Amino acid sequence: MKVALVSSFVPFVNGGYRNIVEWLEHYLLEHGHQVERVYLPHVDGPENLLTQMSAYRWVDLGAADRVICFRPPAHVIEHSCKVLWFIHHIRPFYDLWDSPYRGFPDDVRHRALRDILHSTDTAAMQEAKSIFTNSQIVGRRLKKFNGIDSEVLYPPVFQSERFSCRGFNDEVVYICRLEHHKRQHLLIEAMRYTKTPVRLRVCGSGSGNGYSRELQLLVVKHNLKDKVVIEDNWITEEHKVNLLAHCLAAAYLPVDEDSYGYPSLEAFHSAKPVLTATDSGGVLELVQHEKNGLVCSPTPLALAQALDRLYEDRADCQRMGNTASTSVDALGISWPHAVNRLLA
Amino acid sequence: MKILIVNNMAPFVWGGAEELAVHLQRNLILAGHQAEVLRIPFQWEPANQIPSQMMLVRAMELSNVDRVIALKFPAYLIRHPHKTLWLLHQYRQAYDLLDAGQSNLPVGEEGEQIRRAIVAADGESFKETRRIFTNSDVTRKRLAQYNGFKATVLLPPLNDPEFFSGEDPQNYIFAGGRVNEMKRQHLLVEAMVHAPKTTQLVVAGPPDSPEDAARLHALVEKFGLQDRVTLDLRFLPRQVYSAYVNGASAVAYLPFDEDSLGYVAMEAATAGKALITTTDSGGILGLVKHESTGWVAEPTPPALADALAKLCNNKPQTREWGTAARALWLGMGITWPKTVEALLS
Repeated sequence: MKVALVSSFVPFVNGGYRNIVEWLEHYLLEHGHQVERVYLPHVDGPENLLTQMSAYRWVDLGAADRVICFRPPAHVIEHSCKVLWFIHHIRPFYDLWDSPYRGFPDDVRHRALRDILHSTDTAAMQEAKSIFTNSQIVGRRLKKFNGIDSEVLYPPVFQSERFSCRGFNDEVVYICRLEHHKRQHLLIEAMRYTKTPVRLRVCGSGSGNGYSRELQLLVVKHNLKDKVVIEDNWITEEHKVNLLAHCLAAAYLPVDEDSYGYPSLEAFHSAKPVLTATDSGGVLELVQHEKNGLVCSPTPLALAQALDRLYEDRADCQRMGNTASTSVDALGISWPHAVNRLLA
Repeated sequence: MKILIVNNMAPFVWGGAEELAVHLQRNLILAGHQAEVLRIPFQWEPANQIPSQMMLVRAMELSNVDRVIALKFPAYLIRHPHKTLWLLHQYRQAYDLLDAGQSNLPVGEEGEQIRRAIVAADGESFKETRRIFTNSDVTRKRLAQYNGFKATVLLPPLNDPEFFSGEDPQNYIFAGGRVNEMKRQHLLVEAMVHAPKTTQLVVAGPPDSPEDAARLHALVEKFGLQDRVTLDLRFLPRQVYSAYVNGASAVAYLPFDEDSLGYVAMEAATAGKALITTTDSGGILGLVKHESTGWVAEPTPPALADALAKLCNNKPQTREWGTAARALWLGMGITWPKTVEALLS
């Protein structure tokens, strides 16, 4: 089958939004399909929003037997066999309208623009043969704002067989971009209150906004350098696999994330429990308290208790880790399943 | 610098322009820049959809890009304050192919409106461009003739010159590249009928269609040339292709009226091989100088048979011409580092 994968992109900005497309491409090719990856530019914001959407509408992918659309406004493309793997709305006009992230005034003009966007999105979605979302949260938003039913199709990681468990050392690892909303600082603060010899390793590249420096200063300020290691760079896949194989547990505590996030899924593939927070959003679709991880309040004290608990009860850590690896299968998170559903 | 290469995409088709874009990207990165390729789908059938496809390119917004290098119509219509064109193609069916009666634009007022829209959009886009380079002199002349814009010729370099080191010649003439009627490999096969019996010919490359392959096989059969003509008609991995070039005594390439120097001729010259071409081969004549870097024959089997005889009988001279071909090519200084430098100047 000739399959076109369509997504909007920002040149020179990599991230999860490209991974889902490029990994799917890999597995479709492996299944013997022809794939054309179509990344088209899109600039956020209310200016030229509708003009840019028209541009997407005019794209002719009639040469494809099927198009799979990802990041908006890819879903407005016209095609007789259109499948959506919807990862988010243009959020300032949806769930972020009543938030500091809107970035433009709540006035007649922008309300009109919002109404047009909502009705255009809904019409484009109604054309689709099937609609998948990357999480229950996004699925609920589609229902709430567009009245559209969808199926959750959790995005798998690339070559999950690379991950394995090779023991439990004293270290909890947090492997993720260094961003304020990922809250690495909370975990470092928590290390002030731990009572056991548990250690913390934070790995990831910063986006140059000073957060990584803030984290370093926090370690110095509280004299935590014997207990906390910060690897302030984009670590290799091999290094990541290795850290996860040997760690005690992994941490992932973003603020109200849409999806479960690759860091938690990679930990689960390594049969390690995940420490997360009650307000981490989509992560809670994967992590269940005391079953395959620990879910605690986003405070340094609560996190410190959880860290100590992981250190003190390794048997329980192992039990939760084993459950974690079976959770992945129970939720149907695998590329064969994803390919099967997207081509159904 | 963050440099975005903007090219067209014919979905599920990969060709020379796509390769060029990828190699440009690779070489921009080697020069210390960030580079990415944006490929914008373009479907020119039916022709009345061309205006909406032009508008879609024009309506796109770019962010996080310092410079754009655009290659083809309509991709080069994209708006950016620092845009350079390396023009491979305008929409020829609105220009020279229209004049030649080979256009898909509808006859009459509708077609004329589409043509005017293309010319107007081209003009506007060329005007807002910082610099225009073309991939050949033919493209440059067309641009001047039809749009009135000046441009500098910037010939595409070889992508993998390291493959063409040249080796001691074995005893065959090699004809490489895509196999079709315009590339006229059949003339060489027919020439072999008149050539000395000691001459060997190897034709290798991907046929455009099964008929193109069948035609050559039938000729070999008809003239009983099985012992002296080898046909290896398929897509060749670079190692296999370059081995054929490196081991040849000379390389023959006789396309009809080609725009550019031709990769086949550039690769042969890099390997230090004498070249055989024909008087009507267009851009190829830039590299083939008669009795200096090779032999320029009339496009007929007897004339080509003479060329084959000349190059096979006088081996020292053939080697000398090959060395001269290499010197001529290298003297042109067409390399990726220089190309990148020009595009960013």
